[in-house]
Amino acid sequence: MKTAAALLGQVLGLTLAFAPAAFAETLPDLAGREVVIVTENAYPPLQFLDASGAAVGWEYDAVAEIAKRLNITVKYENISWDAMIPAVSEGQYDLGMTGITIRDDRKEKVDFSDSYMTSEMVMLVRGDETRFADKAGFAANPELLMAAQPGTTPFYVGVYEVLDGNEANPRIKLFETFGATVEALKAGDVDLVLTDGTAGAGYVEASGGGLKIVGEKLGTEDFGFIFPKGSDLVAPFNAAIASLKADGTIDALNKKWFLDYKMGQ
Amino acid sequence: MTPNPKPDSDFPWWLVILAVTGAVLFWEVATSDVYGAALRTLAKGILVTVIVAVVAYLGACALGLGLAVMGLSRHLWLRQTARLYIEVMRGIPIIVLLLYVAFVLAPGLVWLVNQVAEPLGLPLWKTRDFPLIARAVIALMLAYSAFLAEIFRAGLQAVDKGQVEAGQALGLTGWQRFRHIVFPQAFRMILPPLGNDFVAMVKDSSLVSVLGVSDITQLAKVTAAGNFRYFETYNVAALLYLTMTIGLSLILRRIEARLRQRER
Repeated sequence: MKTAAALLGQVLGLTLAFAPAAFAETLPDLAGREVVIVTENAYPPLQFLDASGAAVGWEYDAVAEIAKRLNITVKYENISWDAMIPAVSEGQYDLGMTGITIRDDRKEKVDFSDSYMTSEMVMLVRGDETRFADKAGFAANPELLMAAQPGTTPFYVGVYEVLDGNEANPRIKLFETFGATVEALKAGDVDLVLTDGTAGAGYVEASGGGLKIVGEKLGTEDFGFIFPKGSDLVAPFNAAIASLKADGTIDALNKKWFLDYKMGQ
Repeated sequence: MTPNPKPDSDFPWWLVILAVTGAVLFWEVATSDVYGAALRTLAKGILVTVIVAVVAYLGACALGLGLAVMGLSRHLWLRQTARLYIEVMRGIPIIVLLLYVAFVLAPGLVWLVNQVAEPLGLPLWKTRDFPLIARAVIALMLAYSAFLAEIFRAGLQAVDKGQVEAGQALGLTGWQRFRHIVFPQAFRMILPPLGNDFVAMVKDSSLVSVLGVSDITQLAKVTAAGNFRYFETYNVAALLYLTMTIGLSLILRRIEARLRQRER
């Protein structure tokens, strides 16, 4: 009995130890197939233009690694976020990436990969803000306004986690671009903008004391790649994402882009 | 108030002020870290902006002239078709038109082409082979053709009837009358509004950023997302657009002045 248990333990241990390698072997080989990926380069540090104007970021690195493991040839195209889901949904591109939150309403239009990143929102406020310091304080004062882009994760987090779940709440002022929400915050039109931690830190840094981050992190959002409905790439990409997670590649990328990389330098 | 008889002969102080301010701003921009980096990236969009504006404008001119001629046709159905097109296109915001062309018209065209290509055994077209920049140009072209058609129509109608009759008396054909009598005179009259619309097209070309075409505006959007400095980045965009639009206005004024001289 004892030996059997020990043997079982050994087998389990061995299986675990070899799991990443075994995974790599079982990844499908797509024989150099061309995959057209569309992105906007407007979501640092996932994809953005660095100071020299080159397109870089977490997602580019991750896709390069996935391409190696699946044996695909990647071709990049650019499209704006507004047009991305319709374009991918119509099959104009094989894959869209720009830190897209996996949401059920979007699943009616496109297929999602498994999550490759979990993002958290921070509360960005003016540097001299003293009226509130967390989401409850913001929600309690009806005078306070927030800005968001319609249909984005910060918008939904604002509606369902900070405010009362009413998507038409007049306390949310809608703007077309994220930059406009930040300018409205600086100008005093609104008092709060939600953004993910990296961008939030970047804005605080660039503002020279004009902005700060308050409160706890909000709303955990899972990001996935999007594919046209029924795409045969979903399964291979999921397998590749799993292998990236298993062998620590994802952790290394997180360290590289979220900790070590200094935005705007 | 008596209007100044010769406002054109004023010394262009506004231009001096603008040129000096522009030079200072460009110097400031080029020597600052944040502005300089933004300028270098945004400058890569100038060519795209120029290509989009020029190609869409030339296309719109051709289409607009055709529509104007149609609108003055002897045939009721031609006139009404032109009218219908102009009224619809003028009434739709360009940004909506851009999305229609990109996601309804373009896939539709691809489908049509494939209906023809398939039985002929030709290679099938995919929507993604239809570049977004081409869709953006088509949308701007369709939108502006309606405005330009109205300008052309006004110009053609303003040519004195006697001129056409004189041409008829000389035995010129309809095409010859249009080519040698009506169009040259109309063109001189409509050059200023045509020029204005070209300047407007340069600015409206920024709408193609909705589709992600890498023009100055899209690069500004993307750059600002990465450097977290929206205000500074859009300042650079404004400076680039202003340089182009004012430069264009000056060139157009020169051409107009030369045409007016020739008239005398």
